[in-house]
Amino acid sequence: MHKPDPVETILARLMPPGLSAQGQCDIETMLDELTGPVVETPSVRPSSSPWFRRVIGGMGIAAAGVAAAMIFPQESNPSPVAAAPYQESRPEFSLIGESDRIEYTTDEGWLEYSDGSTMRAMRLTVVEENSIMDEETGIVMQVSEPREEVLLMPVSAF
Amino acid sequence: MESPSSAWKQWLAENGPRLLLFARGWSNCRQDAEDLVQEAILRMWHHQADHGGRPPDLPLVFSTIRFCGLNHHRSESRRRKREESIIYLNDFQDVWLDPVLEEDEEALILREAVQNLSQKLREVVVMKFWGGLTFLQISETLAISPNTAASRYRYALEQLAHELRRMKEVRHAQA
Repeated sequence: MHKPDPVETILARLMPPGLSAQGQCDIETMLDELTGPVVETPSVRPSSSPWFRRVIGGMGIAAAGVAAAMIFPQESNPSPVAAAPYQESRPEFSLIGESDRIEYTTDEGWLEYSDGSTMRAMRLTVVEENSIMDEETGIVMQVSEPREEVLLMPVSAF
Repeated sequence: MESPSSAWKQWLAENGPRLLLFARGWSNCRQDAEDLVQEAILRMWHHQADHGGRPPDLPLVFSTIRFCGLNHHRSESRRRKREESIIYLNDFQDVWLDPVLEEDEEALILREAVQNLSQKLREVVVMKFWGGLTFLQISETLAISPNTAASRYRYALEQLAHELRRMKEVRHAQA
């Protein structure tokens, strides 16, 4: 059995403090927002655009209504009257186009890890563009979502 | 059924302190470290979406914090160059570890000594001792061999023991 080093015995008397109340709250709020009313659908991906969030939210409510109707069959106090309006108002969207466009790149130079390995960093600004069609009205909407990425490329030789 | 965010919150409550401690090694202050933890958790959330949405394993989170820290370190260095005229003051209450007992002189000496270890040694000590990772998991996180991880840990303990002896002698001489 591993006999603790005297230093380890003293280290055991030190404990890392927890996150601050504000930090904990920020992360928990973020987790709640990430969970959110997002519905997994094969045709549409969630976007950070506020108007689109509202649409997705509506789809979430509609889907919840449908799911509830399926899970609780008629013998468990059915409420077809309540479920019907959700089905009628459920919007249908489909993704008809998707592209990633690199706006610009910036050379961030070299990064050196503590183990001696070297990486070259490139910062990319990418714009993701989705075309979404409302099947009921035929209206096509363009959703652009810029994002920034840092690409690390290992350098094996100079 | 437990919601994903509940499972993540429970996981955060269990592991938040050790993640924060590790992030301190890549940050200038507690606030920055908490931001780093939050950024890593956000990345992990998206990553885990393809793995059932469950909270991630600790080695992967340590690795992600390190990656985020490297990026921040890079941009921070550039920012500091631009703001060379600004004097940064230390927050002397901003400590990484809290002693369990009051007036524990040895623990207080080691607290400072841990913070002053080199990055290489400190991250191994933090992951091994407070993170509870095995040398194999540490080696995978840092892309080094398990033997190197173990050697760094032993070397760090030697340095801490040496610093403890030295500080005790200094204080004894002053008394």
